[in-house]
Amino acid sequence: MTGAEVLVPNVVSPLVVSIYKPAIVVGLLTGFIALLGIAFKKGDLTALILTDLVGLAMLVIVAAVATDLAEALVLPGLVVELAEILAIGEILMSREMRKTEKPVGLIPLPLSLDMEILDTAPAFLAIILVVHGCFLTGFTGGAVAGVGILFYVLSKTIRGVPTHIWEGIAGISGMAWVLWLVGFLLFFVAPQYWLLGLFLSACGIMVKVASKVGLIGVMGREEFKREK
Amino acid sequence: MDIATLSGQVFGYIPLGDIVLYFTPFNLFLFGGALLFTLLIALSNTETQVEARFGSLEDREVKVDIGEFKIRRFLAIVCGLATAGAMITGDLFNFTLFAALIGIVNLGLVAAVKMVDVLDSAFQYGIIAMISSLPLFGGAAIVLATTGTLSILELANSTVTPMVTFGSMLLLMGIAGETGVAPFYATKAEMFRTPGSPFLVIIHLSSLLVIVRAIEILLIINKPF
Repeated sequence: MTGAEVLVPNVVSPLVVSIYKPAIVVGLLTGFIALLGIAFKKGDLTALILTDLVGLAMLVIVAAVATDLAEALVLPGLVVELAEILAIGEILMSREMRKTEKPVGLIPLPLSLDMEILDTAPAFLAIILVVHGCFLTGFTGGAVAGVGILFYVLSKTIRGVPTHIWEGIAGISGMAWVLWLVGFLLFFVAPQYWLLGLFLSACGIMVKVASKVGLIGVMGREEFKREK
Repeated sequence: MDIATLSGQVFGYIPLGDIVLYFTPFNLFLFGGALLFTLLIALSNTETQVEARFGSLEDREVKVDIGEFKIRRFLAIVCGLATAGAMITGDLFNFTLFAALIGIVNLGLVAAVKMVDVLDSAFQYGIIAMISSLPLFGGAAIVLATTGTLSILELANSTVTPMVTFGSMLLLMGIAGETGVAPFYATKAEMFRTPGSPFLVIIHLSSLLVIVRAIEILLIINKPF
């Protein structure tokens, strides 16, 4: 890249600098391939998933800058991407509900699950998973705890659970954002309390990921319905 | 083109670390306009569409119920504040983030309507908005990689290389898709065919203001004259 020599400090190896242009090309190519996929799409849900691929290509281009500022830009880019896919998924669900004119179940399932384990073990397994997730914290803990919540709601759905539990989980997810943001702010405003900030952010992101994993099950509704 | 020629005399700066806000008459006017409109929307009620019935003297009213009204008003205020933020910001990436936020909120504004056609076009607009986040953020990242800064004040003094122009073109494509103007406006126009007018107008206003500001920023970065 011409002119880059002025900006890049000497400590950065030339290999890293020379990799910038290939990274940009790879990002644009990925986006192009995803656009081809959208052009040949089969259904609306396929289009939604392929659009997420375009978002990942965007992250490649942003990450190609490869400074700590780029790291700070990847995070909002990822968040915007998540928010958009959730918003579009919500619209898709809302449209399908209007089309079918009947309320859809909490978690639509393609086949009837009448397994013994769903009746006897849900509380026990869910508690183990959630507690283990709480000890892990962060992204991993969120995923583990999310699986626990998902399993619990799934097994409760078989026996019939009111939907307001699900909406409550979404509310907790919103509060987790606040925890996360407060933790982040603490890093900047009062760096001496970095440990507290770290724990706030970790717990916030855990609750966030946990509730997100649960929501993924709801988004599969359209595909399930087609197979019936 | 330097900032003083394009948007008027610089009144002052607010240096927040590496994010520097600057104030020009152009900026302040757009910022104030967006805030004023947001205030008007926050105070207003929704319209009620009245349709005459064929063959009888009765009218049919299409109303927005109270829950939907509250959500829409909240989202419209968020959209107005995001627009105001995009007008006043002095950071290229923050500008793109505000533009993306406006896109998301626009989707949210129509997500709760009961018409399948409107939801269909909102879905198409959402896909376009999400695809255009690639050129939007990618363009800003290329400008950052080439010039080493995102501050518009610094970019006004930087030299223009072909890579900066390429990044700016990507940015323009991204803005066009995110706000749903010229080539993509067909789906966005369909989104308006639903009751709840004053809140839906902010969709229009935000895209207009963002386009104006984007052109200012691109002129500052690329210095074509």
